[in-house]
Amino acid sequence: MEEELIGIKNAALSFVLEADSLESLEETKLQFLGKSGKLTLTIKEIKKVPQEKRAAVGMLANEVKETIEQAIESQTQKLKNKNLSHVIKKIDVTSPGKAEPIGHLHLVTQAIEEITDIFKSIGFTRVRYPEVEWDWYSFTALNFPLNHPARDDWETFFIDEKEHDKFGPMLLTPHTSSGQIREMLENKPPIKMLNIAKTYRRQIDVGHTPMFHQFETLAVSENLSITHLKGTLDYFVKSFFGSKIKTRIRPYHFEFTEPSFEVDITCTVCLGKGCKLCKEGWLEMGGAGMVHPNVLKNAGIDSEKYKGFASGWGVERVLMMRENLNIDDLRLIYSNKLDFLEQF
Amino acid sequence: MNILIPESWLREYLETKASTKQIASVLSQTSVSVEKIQKINEDFVYDIEVTTNRPDLMSVTGVAREANVGLYNEQIETKFSPFKIELLAKSTDSFPIEVKNDSTIVNRICAIVMTVKVRKSSKIISDRLEACGIRSLNNIIDITNYVMRETGHPTHVFDLDRLNTKYLTITRSQKGEEITTLDGKTHFLFGDDIIAKDENGRIVDLLGVMGSQNSVITENTKRILFFVDNNNPINIRNTSMNLGIRTEAAILNEKGIDPNLAMTALLRGIELYQKHADGKIESKILDIYPNKREQKSIKITNKKITDVIGVDIPLNKSRQILEKLGFEVNEVKETLEVKVPSLRGDMEIEEDIIEEIARIYGYQNLPSIIPSFFNNRPYKFHDSFYFENKIKTAMKYLGFNEVYTYSLVSEEKFEGPIENALKIKNPLSIDMQYMRNSLVPSLLQVIDENKGINEIKIFELSNTYEKKTGDLPKETLMFSGIIKKENADFYEVKGLIEEVLKDIGITDLIFKNSKRAGIGASILKGDEFLGEIEILDTNLIDFELSFATLLKLANTKKVYKPLAKFPAIHEDISIISTLDTEEIINQIGSVNKIINEVYLKDSYNESRTFHITYRDFDKNLTKEDVSKVRLEILKILKDKLKAQVRE
Repeated sequence: MEEELIGIKNAALSFVLEADSLESLEETKLQFLGKSGKLTLTIKEIKKVPQEKRAAVGMLANEVKETIEQAIESQTQKLKNKNLSHVIKKIDVTSPGKAEPIGHLHLVTQAIEEITDIFKSIGFTRVRYPEVEWDWYSFTALNFPLNHPARDDWETFFIDEKEHDKFGPMLLTPHTSSGQIREMLENKPPIKMLNIAKTYRRQIDVGHTPMFHQFETLAVSENLSITHLKGTLDYFVKSFFGSKIKTRIRPYHFEFTEPSFEVDITCTVCLGKGCKLCKEGWLEMGGAGMVHPNVLKNAGIDSEKYKGFASGWGVERVLMMRENLNIDDLRLIYSNKLDFLEQF
Repeated sequence: MNILIPESWLREYLETKASTKQIASVLSQTSVSVEKIQKINEDFVYDIEVTTNRPDLMSVTGVAREANVGLYNEQIETKFSPFKIELLAKSTDSFPIEVKNDSTIVNRICAIVMTVKVRKSSKIISDRLEACGIRSLNNIIDITNYVMRETGHPTHVFDLDRLNTKYLTITRSQKGEEITTLDGKTHFLFGDDIIAKDENGRIVDLLGVMGSQNSVITENTKRILFFVDNNNPINIRNTSMNLGIRTEAAILNEKGIDPNLAMTALLRGIELYQKHADGKIESKILDIYPNKREQKSIKITNKKITDVIGVDIPLNKSRQILEKLGFEVNEVKETLEVKVPSLRGDMEIEEDIIEEIARIYGYQNLPSIIPSFFNNRPYKFHDSFYFENKIKTAMKYLGFNEVYTYSLVSEEKFEGPIENALKIKNPLSIDMQYMRNSLVPSLLQVIDENKGINEIKIFELSNTYEKKTGDLPKETLMFSGIIKKENADFYEVKGLIEEVLKDIGITDLIFKNSKRAGIGASILKGDEFLGEIEILDTNLIDFELSFATLLKLANTKKVYKPLAKFPAIHEDISIISTLDTEEIINQIGSVNKIINEVYLKDSYNESRTFHITYRDFDKNLTKEDVSKVRLEILKILKDKLKAQVRE
């Protein structure tokens, strides 16, 4: 019996070591340890061994079983490793990866998100008002005189609809400033509004698209002065363009603000030294000013008690200024060439 | 409007130690923006952007006056010397032409008759004019331009002998009247243009815009009528824009110029003709001045000044600034009574005066303060923009490119009868004549413009416009997209919409065969119609959903379902049936409450395999529990739904 067990052990070990695949190893395992395996059958015979030797044979049988099991286990690991290294050698880490490509948000969406976030952080709330508007909201209430050039057919798009008795002709908003009137009529001060919207002007060339986007701020409160407008502009410019960029406001003229300002920032290309793209080291960003008392009055706000400031700038413009993208033709932004859109 | 001003000319009226750059910088910060400084010959030329409310700065003397105040405030030595004109020769009492004015269109006419000698201009005049971008012609014409640039008031000169008339009648043109302007072009007038007619009714001038060929100076001119007319700006603007004549005179006149300047311009012109054209005065000075500007007076308190500017500026400082700018100021206690010079037609209200003080005081000297008050509206995190952003981001990560297409479209891109479209009265082109009512045609154009690319996934979130009688159109935000690929799959688009809407809290969508023309599906949530999927071609599928409706349903509600404590049992059943998948799933699902989930796992030819998950949340399911339910399912499938079950 003992010899038989030793014989089984030796035979099993040599089979195990010879096994060159996980399949043949599994076969060997079944052959010896399976239900009708050699060792299993032999162990069943132990009960026939005389009483006095049975314990010793039993112990030997256990030892043989454990040895075979261990050998199988170690050979399994060896074979697995061999398989893995076989696979690993096949990997060319320089070959391209595979994934479903992620798409792109439009440049303008990306800019709008960022602008919104900056103004939100100082308490401005984003709103949306009509893109097709009455003249009254876009011009009259904003203190534009009747003969102002912006009201000409060659600057603003008008809609072929009947004029409103009170509000005049229907048009496409040439600026986001109509939102000032809408906001003040709907909401009581204190107001901190951010209006971002599509705007339309009758102009198409390398520097202009007939549709573009503006972002407009309006703050109305008691005790509001030019210093607050300056603070807000500075905060936006530093946040959006970076801390190296300075702001300056200089006198300008708009019908709906008084005083009015043009806001310049340090040229982002030459950083203020003066270059081809800028005006003596400065780039014009857009307009701003203290809300004209007539505008407050037209929107039902007591112009003696409250003061306001407002600014309105082009989304595409600030984007181009920051990124120095040198897009030589602004029309590309709305041309929807995928080769263009996928760059951002 | 931009104006070019040579530095040497400016310094004739501005004595200062300030450098070229200092002058530019002070002007930009306190007055009008100097955009460029260019060196031309031995002179520097300032390129200045003048705002439309300041036509008084469209001149050398105007800019000199402003620069002087800014420099003074910067404590740089400076002095402004306005014109000192004395009439050197005696004048007669008569005037050879009777001028009949119409005071509704012309505010003032100043004129004189002189004999002159026509020749080339002196170098200084022609160089300066050329540096200003004005072509030098001869001394007589050049002086009209020189005076305009120096004083800011346009002037005109006729050849008196070519004019040859006893009367000059200023009147409004009739529509269709004809004039050949001095550049040789013939124009048909639109009506209401300001014209001058001679005794025979011949048009001899288009006032304020351009002279006419029949009375222009020639090299043989001996006698001139030097004519300074101050016109109604609205008529000038219409004439100039209608006829497309954008002369410097027209650009100035349409802004409204101080009529008091007209006499200054006339006198300065006479002086220059005497000096540069052997000019001799042959008449009295004609001055027809029906519309004098009233002197405006504005009162302002120190408190108001401080409130708007945000810092305390001493009252005497404010007063000094205003006086330097040419205002007459009377200080009464804490109030300034300000008399506005006639040059400053832009001054109307207290805020206008505050701007004058603030800009000269220097915006750079004011602090920057972020207003600390909060908006009256409560802060809303989950607003429309939040959900728009969420959808856009989801689409991006699903591989879509976002596009922005024009809201203005051609007739072909409008869906349905064109009478329903909101039409642009003055379109730029027929491609942009209507406001769109669907984004899909624009997206299809994007597909078309990217022909070379075989696989395209794009989307847009933009408004459509629906005409309403007597009111503004209804603007509806739409969420639309297109997939272009070989064998485009309806289920891919359906799945995409389900996933994206799930992300904004909208589930249990209902898909029905489309009611509209074309093959596709209508998408509903309950009774609410959300939009459509449309199969356009084997390689092209679009979808369009109303974001406005989605917004009503969108939410961020969070529901907690206890996690299952007991394991589930899974099973597949394959059947052949003509019924809709949804119907079969509903039937199986309603057999017993331990059927936790049923979905279509696979379909092959006619056969569909459904995956069923059995789960009891209160106990372990046994094989017996499941097989009992299974038998019920099979019974319903076979008997009720008449389906063939593949065992």
